[in-house]
This record gives sequence, C-alpha cells and structure tokens, in this order.
Amino acid sequence: MNKTNTGMKEAGILLPLGVGFVMASSNDLRAAVGMGVAVLLALFFSAVVISALRKVIPQAAHLPIYILIITGFVSLIQMVMEAHFPGVVNMLGVHLAALSVSAVPYRDAEHVSGVMGEGPSVKTAIETGLLFTLVMAVCAVIREVLGSASIWGVAIPFMQDFRISALSGVFGGYLVLAIVFAVMRKISGKKETEKEDVAA
Amino acid sequence: MKSTDLVKAIALIVVIVLVFSAAMFGLNFYTGPLIEANNAGAVYGPLLAVMPEGASFNGEAQIYAADGTVPTTLADVPETVTAIYKEANGMGYAVKVATTSQYTKAGSAMEITLGVDAEGKIIKVQIDAYNDTESYDFRAKDPGYLDTYIGKDSALADVGLVAGTTFSSTAFKQGVSDGLNALIANGLIAEGVKGDDQLLAEMIPTVFPGMADPSGNLKAEPIEVDGAVAAYKAVNSSGFAYIVPKGESMVMAVTNASGKCFVYDTEGNEVTVDNPDAVALATAHASANQQDFNAEAQEKFGRMMEGAENMTALELPNFSTVVAAASFDVDGEIYYGFYSKSYGYEDMDVYVIIDAAGAIAKVDAKTVIFEQEYFAFQNPAISSFDANAYKAGLRGLRDAEDGAVAISGATMTTNSMKQSINDAFEVYGGAQLTEPEVSTNE
Repeated sequence: MNKTNTGMKEAGILLPLGVGFVMASSNDLRAAVGMGVAVLLALFFSAVVISALRKVIPQAAHLPIYILIITGFVSLIQMVMEAHFPGVVNMLGVHLAALSVSAVPYRDAEHVSGVMGEGPSVKTAIETGLLFTLVMAVCAVIREVLGSASIWGVAIPFMQDFRISALSGVFGGYLVLAIVFAVMRKISGKKETEKEDVAA
Repeated sequence: MKSTDLVKAIALIVVIVLVFSAAMFGLNFYTGPLIEANNAGAVYGPLLAVMPEGASFNGEAQIYAADGTVPTTLADVPETVTAIYKEANGMGYAVKVATTSQYTKAGSAMEITLGVDAEGKIIKVQIDAYNDTESYDFRAKDPGYLDTYIGKDSALADVGLVAGTTFSSTAFKQGVSDGLNALIANGLIAEGVKGDDQLLAEMIPTVFPGMADPSGNLKAEPIEVDGAVAAYKAVNSSGFAYIVPKGESMVMAVTNASGKCFVYDTEGNEVTVDNPDAVALATAHASANQQDFNAEAQEKFGRMMEGAENMTALELPNFSTVVAAASFDVDGEIYYGFYSKSYGYEDMDVYVIIDAAGAIAKVDAKTVIFEQEYFAFQNPAISSFDANAYKAGLRGLRDAEDGAVAISGATMTTNSMKQSINDAFEVYGGAQLTEPEVSTNE
C-alpha cells in the first residue's frame, strides 16, 4: 500500500462504510466527539495488536481473529465510557456497541494493519480516527446549531425561532453528510492532482 | 487450511479470548462501581433535583409505582401519579406525575417531578418532559411560573394559571395537586388549609359561568381594585369578580355586563343584601369599567333580521357568557336577540335570536370554524364544512342539546356553540320575557 492510500484518502474510503454511526452520532456535538474518540481508540489499539500479530495470524483465520480483537477493544472502551461518560453512551445507544461489527475498523485491519508494520498502521489508524472525529464534529456542529439551535447541549437563545428541525432527522443528516463528503472529495481530489502534477 | 494453521488459529483465538476476558474482568473492578453509581444517579438525579441539599435516596426509597413493580401499602393514589419516593433522612418525598391536557401529543404525557417536605410544603417542582404543543409552553410564556409553587401546601394558595396556556397550565397544576393528594390520602403529609380568598376565587366558575370555559376553567385576568383583596376581569368582558374583606372573613361580589351584582360568602351562599359595602365597591368599579356591548349587538341583530324595529336593551338577569340582549319587532312579531362571547378554540362571538315561541329564529357567529382547529385543513369533515348550512340547521331548536349543534371534528367549537345557545336560552328564560309556547305539531 503506498502513501497516498493513507490519511485522508483512506478515511475518504472508510467514511461511507461508517455512514451508519456517523449519522447516528452527528446530531449532537457531544455524541460526535464521543463516537470519534471511541473510533480513534478502537482503530489505534486494534492497529497496534493486529499489526504486531500480522505474521502469526493464519491467512484463513483473519476474519474471526480481527473481529475478536476489534470487539474486545470496543467492549473495553465502552466500559470506560459507561463509567465516565454515561450521557454520551446514552446518546450513542446501540451504535457504540455496533462499532465492533462496523466495516470501518475491519477494513482498516484487513487493508492496513494486517499488511503493514506497527508504525504505518498506527499512523494510519490515528489519521483515520482523527478525520472521522473531525467529519462527525463538523456534521454535528451544522446539525446541532441549525437543527436544534444548541451547541454542546447548550441552547442558543437567538436561534430558537430559526431551527431547521429536518436537520436533526435522518433526511437532514444525510444531506449534511453528503455535503461534507463532497467537500472532502474535492479537497482530496485536489491534493491528488497536485501530487500527479509534481510527479509529472 | 493446513492442520498447523488450524491449530495456530485456534490457539490464537483462545489466547485472544482469554486476554480480553481477563482485561474486562480487571477493568470491571474499576468501572463497575462507577457504572452502578451512574445508573443510580440516572434514577435518583431528577429526584435529588427537587429535594434540599443533603437529601439522599437509597434502594428502598421507592414506596409506590403505578406499574406495580414495587410492593406498596399506599392506597387512593391518583392515576396520574406514577411513582413516589421517600427521602432517606425524613426530609420528605419526591413524587413523579404524568399528566395530560387536550394539547398533549398522542401517546405521551407531561412528566413532572415534585419535591415535598415532611410538612407538606412544596420544595421544588420541575417538568422532566413537556410533550404539550410547544406554542402552549407556559414555561416560555411565564418563566417564573414553576417557582410560584415553591413553599405552597396542598391548598396551592395564590398559584394561578398562565394566560394563553390555560389547558396546559391547568393540567400541570392538577398534576401537582394529584401528587400532593397521593401523600395526603396516605397520611404522609398534612392537608393544606385554603384561605378565604382562595376559596372564593375557586368559586368564580360556579357562580359566574360566563367567566369560565365549557370545561369550567376560569377565564379571567387579575386586576387591581382599591378596597378589594383580589379582583378579576372576565377575558370575554362579561363582567368582574371582587373579593373584599368582611370582618375576619371575606366575601365575593360579581357583576355582569348589565351591572347586576350578587355577593357570595365562602360557603357559596348568596348574601347580597347583607353586604351593601361590597355591592357599592363592585358596582362603582363595574359602572366605570364595564364595556357596553348593547349598541354593537343591536346593530348586528338589525342586520340579521331585516325590518327589525323598536330595539330595546334588556337587563341581563344572570352571569353567563351573554354580554348583551335586546327585544325587537319584525312585522309585528317580537324577537329576542342575545350576544354571547363564549370560549371555543378561540374566543367566540355568537348571536342568537329567539322568537316569542321560544325557538331559535337565527344564529350567526363572527367565525364558526377557526382555521387552526384540529388542523382543520387536514380534516375532511371540517374542510367541507358549510357554515351557512350549519347556521340554518339551528333554526327552530329549543335548546343546544340537538345534534344539529355538533360540528364533526370541532369539539371545542361545538362546546362553545352549545354554551352560547344554552346561555341565550337561560337569559331568555331567566328574564321571564315570554312563557315559551310549545308548538302543537312537535
């Protein structure tokens, strides 16, 4: 895997795979940050362990072993979050637990950690996790401010009469997500073009 | 898969399972107590929010659950009370109530948590879930309303309703009363004693039905009148109520749109002749402040009945929603017109003309169906409603109980029309204008 497959490009591929929990956690900034941190930690610890074990994991047993490792870390992260951030866990509901069977960490494990060394795997995991957090936070700010007239759960008084409640729902969520994806794709495409121009 | 790979895979899976199991087991020693405390906080948090500092609830705090999940010795608990908790140090009780008004969203309720001290005084009351129509949120209309309950006993003295959100604030007030009554019924707190002014104010809808909506909710605004402990002006301008001191006690004088005055004591007895001072105070204020609807009503009656002449204003004998009445002749026949301002989805202006035989000759209203009523634009029964046909169908009625008064899908307007028509007949009968003649062909 070359360098261009890491960072934003990797996240750009992974984001649509995680659209379910991005949607579920992006109508409130607290939930978005909570889910972002959970994704980041799950990717980080999974990357460390999977890349360290990549040579001893038999080819035919990748799937169950990756799922076990990812599920284990997600469960541990959930326990800590339930203890310290119960409100966020309530907001995320089943989507936090469902992270363990999401295609996002599995794809990261299969395509990055399972084939690369610890250094690049961890770097990619952190970049992906941070970008996920950023995207969810951006979506959440747009949806919470415009849809719920609040930010971080605190009401914005002068916005109360201008709420676009559709943004808090599924339709608004997909709309915002589509716009953010489009912007990301544009930025990502521009960087790729610049690299190709330099290479040429 | 080679057998060595199979063994390796199985061994790896076992090791991973063991490692994570051990990690979770160890982590649980740290997170377990915190999670347990969080869960307890989620249950007791809203309760502690309505109790004084230092209050605590333990595992045996809940002494009543409406769903029967907790063994209880409590009886006669109102249906709206969902749970009762006893504070561990004897500081009082927290009561959870789920109440509804006609503006509560289907399948939901206004959820209230009420903190009550051991003496029966309200420590604090909060709304955990509102669920009524947002535009009728009394917290937005009167941010200090919930605080008016603090320190009150079950008498809820001086706790009123919020103008413009009468139904929602009534449901809230009733919910609080239900919570207190559940504790009183089981001897957990003492019942509050109502003051004379409170007893008299609560009597207004009974002695002056024109100052209340068809459900009996007071529709009046408090006003200040020199010499009166409290005074109220009917929202529909049908009259006033004055609570005035009399020795150690109080009496209440009510005046209608004609200036007629009655005085009542706290027992509900009519004591007008014994209270000339109260009558003088009330009539003096009413004569200076009562809106006169006669000219407006007579003009309307004249338009409704072509050729009306000899228009004569009639004194209103009772205390209904009728604010003006007149008799007039049309082609030598005598008719009586009544202008009623009743309370429907919005305030109604209903004109009822009754002939000498005691039957409705004509009914009109400034607006029969209010656009917003029950999302009328989505209601086929209302969108096809023919107001002229409806009004024509009321002709010949001798009371408001006939099915012709009902408007499908518009309960509030129906009740309002009934109130107006009944009040018109009541004034008609009360004034002893003409003994109604019963037609022989009925």
